[in-house]
Amino acid sequence: MNPKFILYFAWYYGFYVVLRGPSYLLASLSLPLTLLFMVTIFTHGTLIAFAIAGGPIAIVAANSINGAADAAFFRIQIRIQDLFVATSITPQNYMLALSLSYLVFSLPGIVLYGILGAYFKVFSLASAPWIIGVLVLLTLTISNLSFIIAGLLKHIRNVWGITAILSIIMTVLPPTFYPYSYLPNGVLYILSISPVTPAAVLLQGIVGLEKMQYSMIVILLVETVVLTLLGRKFIRWRE
Amino acid sequence: MIEIKGVAKRYGRNLFALKGIDASLKERVTTVIGRNGAGKTTLIRILSTQLSPSSGTALIEGYDILKDTKKVRQLISSIPQEAQLIGILSPLEQMQLYLMARGFSPSQAKEEAKYALDELELYDFRNAPSDTLSGGMKRKVFVAMALAAKAPVIFLDEPTTGLDPLSRIEVWSAIKRLSSKIILTTHYMEEAQELSNEVMVIDQGNIITHGSVSSLLSTFNGRMRAEKLDGEEFDIKIANVAIKYIEQDRVDEFLKKGYDIKRINLDDIFLSKGVSLES
Repeated sequence: MNPKFILYFAWYYGFYVVLRGPSYLLASLSLPLTLLFMVTIFTHGTLIAFAIAGGPIAIVAANSINGAADAAFFRIQIRIQDLFVATSITPQNYMLALSLSYLVFSLPGIVLYGILGAYFKVFSLASAPWIIGVLVLLTLTISNLSFIIAGLLKHIRNVWGITAILSIIMTVLPPTFYPYSYLPNGVLYILSISPVTPAAVLLQGIVGLEKMQYSMIVILLVETVVLTLLGRKFIRWRE
Repeated sequence: MIEIKGVAKRYGRNLFALKGIDASLKERVTTVIGRNGAGKTTLIRILSTQLSPSSGTALIEGYDILKDTKKVRQLISSIPQEAQLIGILSPLEQMQLYLMARGFSPSQAKEEAKYALDELELYDFRNAPSDTLSGGMKRKVFVAMALAAKAPVIFLDEPTTGLDPLSRIEVWSAIKRLSSKIILTTHYMEEAQELSNEVMVIDQGNIITHGSVSSLLSTFNGRMRAEKLDGEEFDIKIANVAIKYIEQDRVDEFLKKGYDIKRINLDDIFLSKGVSLES
């Protein structure tokens, strides 16, 4: 493990991308903010708390799934992955560094939703550590899914289309912006194939909007472990 | 020393990028030359643990690239041919990340990066986003990475492709100052002659010849190359250019026939492939 490399990479590739390319940040915020606006209008404000609670989940999920584009770009197009393969770092170091950079990139959005959540009394200081824990797990899980997608791709041109579709499916379909209790139990568990579902359900439970579903902790943890192992296999470190 | 033992790389059933190469690279600078698709990059990627061979292996300073991968990766620095910088980060930031991946501390990585960038006349651009640099400057940043890494063995895959003549000389000068063992690939024969202690020529996945520049050129027995568009006498014809390898005493004769006379260089190792040069 090379923690200094991981932290520096996450900071450089997360923070400087925000600083030097703010349009990426605005793009990552546009969908959750649009959905927040629409949910508020169509429900006359009754579900605003759900839309606020789902915002950080949507931002983290979208940024992490977009990581597939980065991972594929680094491996296929600009060969940065090859550069790092022939060094002392392990694939786990590289994957963790990239995953954390997406979390750093997501921070401004998370802070914005934190402020909104505090203003509308959705989030509290007591719930913050649990929310952060869920977001970290979600980042790791979706990032690993991204590495799997990136590893399967042979041509870079396919990645943007795939990530755009997955980003919408994974952030809008699961109960990110609406109460999970609206879904029949069977559908909820089918949607749990996407790690966003257990993360969103847990978050609604943590902030007290819905009943806590403890089974979702197990699902999210299992998905994190399984996708991490698969991500390591598919990253094609030594081709 | 690098010992290559029967390294082959097969794609699919029948496509061989390398057909079982054996070689000992003992000199400080070895240049691997060959046409596009000859297998140079495949060989470099296998030796630098980026690609698995289909069969065979290699020893880098005594360590097996397959069994002792971790140790080999500590010994080498490898710059891929198609590597490009992350546009939004600066050269200094990217060099720092690369050097930290090689085990340097953050401050040490920064200092070494600055020094190497200065050596390649890139210091003033160290903090500029990389997408604002010219193509040649970007390539030089990768060479600076390899220099700063101070690895015992350095692989440079076409380090000077796309560089202007001045930048090429700067890169050559930096390479000459290194004490590491260097394996480089190039299309430029002049570069191979300038830098190498030994040359390995690869064609269609096989080594066609291997040795010092002088020993490879000595096979021409002091001949000259005579070239003429649509010439009638030739050993080989490339497009419409007739090429004939002639003894020194026939130079006047061929000049009168309208041929251009050229000194033999490493280009001729390719050109003369299959031509009998017995005196």
